[in-house]
Amino acid sequence: MLFHTWTFLLFFIVTIAGFWALRPTRFWLHWILLSSAVFYGWWHPYYLLLVFYSTALDYFIVGWMERGPRLVRPGWRFTASVVALVGSVAVGFVTPDGWGGLAVAAGFFAVILAVGHWLRSRRAWLAVSIINNLSVLFFFKYAGFAIENLNTLLARLGAGQLPSAESLMPPGWEYVLPVGISFYTFQSMSYTFDFYRGAIAREPSFVRFAAFVTFFPQLVAGPIERAKNLLPQFATFPRIKWPDVTDGASLFLVGLFKKVALANYLGLYVDRVYGDVASQDGAALALATFAFGWQIYFDFSGYTDMARGVARCMGFRLMLNFRNPYLAVSLADFWSRWHISLSTWFRDYVYIPLGGNRVGSLKLWRNLLITFVVSGLWHGAAWTFLIWGALHGLGLIANRGLEQVAWWRDRCPRLAKRLVVFAFVCFAWVFFRAESLGQAMEILHRIFTTGWADPQMPLLLLLLVVSVWVYQWVYESPSRGWLEKPPVKVGLAVAMILWMLLFAPGGGEPFIYFQF
Amino acid sequence: MTHETRQPLASDSAAVHLSARQWLCALGLSLGLAWLLPVAWPGFEAFEPVPHYRVPYELSNDYWLYERWLDQLPPDAIPVVGDSMVWGEYTAHDGTLSRHLSDATGTPFANAGINGLYPLALWGLIEHHGGALANCRVLLHCNLLWMSDPEADMQLEKEQTLNHPGLLPQFAPRIPCYRADTDTRLSRTLERRLEPLSWARHLQQTYFDQKSAPEWTLADDGKFPPTYPNTYRLPVGVEGMPLSAESPSAERGLASERHKPWSANQSGQVNMEWVTPGSSLQWQAFRRLAKRLQGRGSDLLVVVGPLNEHMMNDATREKYLGFRSAVAAWLSEEDIRFVVPEVLTSDEFADASHPLTEGYERLARRLATGPVFRAWLGQ
Repeated sequence: MLFHTWTFLLFFIVTIAGFWALRPTRFWLHWILLSSAVFYGWWHPYYLLLVFYSTALDYFIVGWMERGPRLVRPGWRFTASVVALVGSVAVGFVTPDGWGGLAVAAGFFAVILAVGHWLRSRRAWLAVSIINNLSVLFFFKYAGFAIENLNTLLARLGAGQLPSAESLMPPGWEYVLPVGISFYTFQSMSYTFDFYRGAIAREPSFVRFAAFVTFFPQLVAGPIERAKNLLPQFATFPRIKWPDVTDGASLFLVGLFKKVALANYLGLYVDRVYGDVASQDGAALALATFAFGWQIYFDFSGYTDMARGVARCMGFRLMLNFRNPYLAVSLADFWSRWHISLSTWFRDYVYIPLGGNRVGSLKLWRNLLITFVVSGLWHGAAWTFLIWGALHGLGLIANRGLEQVAWWRDRCPRLAKRLVVFAFVCFAWVFFRAESLGQAMEILHRIFTTGWADPQMPLLLLLLVVSVWVYQWVYESPSRGWLEKPPVKVGLAVAMILWMLLFAPGGGEPFIYFQF
Repeated sequence: MTHETRQPLASDSAAVHLSARQWLCALGLSLGLAWLLPVAWPGFEAFEPVPHYRVPYELSNDYWLYERWLDQLPPDAIPVVGDSMVWGEYTAHDGTLSRHLSDATGTPFANAGINGLYPLALWGLIEHHGGALANCRVLLHCNLLWMSDPEADMQLEKEQTLNHPGLLPQFAPRIPCYRADTDTRLSRTLERRLEPLSWARHLQQTYFDQKSAPEWTLADDGKFPPTYPNTYRLPVGVEGMPLSAESPSAERGLASERHKPWSANQSGQVNMEWVTPGSSLQWQAFRRLAKRLQGRGSDLLVVVGPLNEHMMNDATREKYLGFRSAVAAWLSEEDIRFVVPEVLTSDEFADASHPLTEGYERLARRLATGPVFRAWLGQ
């Protein structure tokens, strides 16, 4: 179910009515859970099995973790466990067809749960949670990519081929990437990590924990919430005040406009150019890449705004996920403004455990590169995403070097810095948007080697994007007060509503980030 | 993603935060403008239908224009409602049934048909956009061809690409071959109930080549390599399609290659399965439509057929006549006046149900001399 559809509007009316009606009882939380199940199951009912599995697993693991000692020296038990795990995976590859795959998966999970009980320690349970969550994520998101690349390698070595990921599915079950699996898996894992680190207490109520993981506004594309922020909000029925409703509606309106009026419009131009790279020249490809930068921003931040708006109308506050990222003056600044919930997730659970920036230069560079390559892979199973992540990692390293240069740090105009960051981010977007590494290279090659004729970007589109950029610019300037004047705000809201009513292209285009 | 990252604040977002009072103002203004614009729009857009006007083929999906056409019919004009048989699939706008009825009776008849309709969609058109057809005389054509086999009757489960899907019943009764998702159905339901949405569709149909304004700015000229004529144009001051008269078309009219008897293309007779009146979705829709028009106080006359019986083999004709008898029986039962005209000659049909210009002329003359029709006209 997409936010910008009439179906969602009906769903939300029913949900909010039930939510409000149940406020004197303790069942409002069950209602949220049920609504979230309907919202998610709308895509495909079998998705529910996966989200339920992830949720239940982390809920119980944290329970077991609470009872276990921090560390038990495993000795030979550890070796035996690793052998059992590898063995169960190997069995999967020799009995690939039909129910064999499911049976092996069940066996694999049973083995690692048994291993957890056997090893008992908190650290073991943390490992079980990580392996379990990442295995599910790996199977649905990366198995195809990994097997394809391994088979290419095996073919070169003259060895046999591995079975396809599709063949491991039970008969009649389609091998599809469950919408939002990366988001809820990370959210659920963050709870386990935080508990392990002692940052939060165990949540005793399964319903509350399940509501936290599956809360429908943020289930499929974030923000990736932290238990510390969202779980306490589910402790009691929220006190919903008028500003919650009006702010929520405002967020929703802006998000809807970003998606329906801006992202979808930009998408039409980007698809036209990227859909026929061979006949485009440098100017069209460069402009389409800039357009894609804005498209993905409007698409994703639009979704987040709507998610935050919906939650806010119900009295819940989700974290800010975007903060005018194209006004960033450095790449580090960009990552503090872009997909904040994910970048802070990687910061807290990957970058800092690796040593963060309190290490020597070489290790720092390594940490940045690892973090960003993993972040790139989080977005998708393809070499293009890996390179996109690596580029950002390298960009951050270069950025740190640049910050040491006095002229750049103190005298370079902020506008120039913004343009450099924007240009770099767009350069990296080429890899993100291209269908393959070959296409990305072809796009870059054509940008720099072919002529620059009229790119045929609609004037209306250009005006819209420039208007938003100027708006954001003013918003971050001392003149921000102008934008907060009631006539301006009301005028903007009216303009957005009328634009969507009269001009928005029809059709509920899915959000780009759903594929992650 | 470094330790320097500061905790973001909600106020960092550039969202437009409106207070309750500001929301009231914004919604009031938006809704007011959305309802006012369609009302005021006729003042900015000339619409002076030519004699024997019909809604142009290119604007068949412009239901807002259809409403406007009905709204400005002269009070003494009698609308003729129906599908492409009424609209005139093979004829020019001045060769249709309504034009010949006007000539034959001296009473003005108006072509209130739309190309591409069928009873299930016709019901939607009249239900949602035919509010002007109240307390007046209405001539309603019943084209039985839509009941001649399960596919035409839309009973098959196989998905079909349909004309006018926005006019179909979206949720009930269930139409097996109509497979839109829930959101499309909801959005179509809303579009036909909310005039601003219907007017927005009118703008798209008339000014933006049946696209949304953003899509229009990106449209190519259909050639290879493509060029993009609207790239630097803004969606204001665009010259629209002519509303008041249809553009000359090589597809229709006496000079058209298509305007020839059916036997010139195919001489063989065909077998039609026919559905039963009890199971027919199209016939049920027609009955709802007739009752709806009656309910609005319209003085209804139904013209049943004629179909091209020359195309039918004996078995098919027998089934057709059986269905037609059932239709006549129901109309009698409901006290709805009806006429079952004699079949036209073979040369006067262009296909199974559409007459040629001469066919319309003969049909109009026959109707005009019939006692039921004359009584209905008050002559």
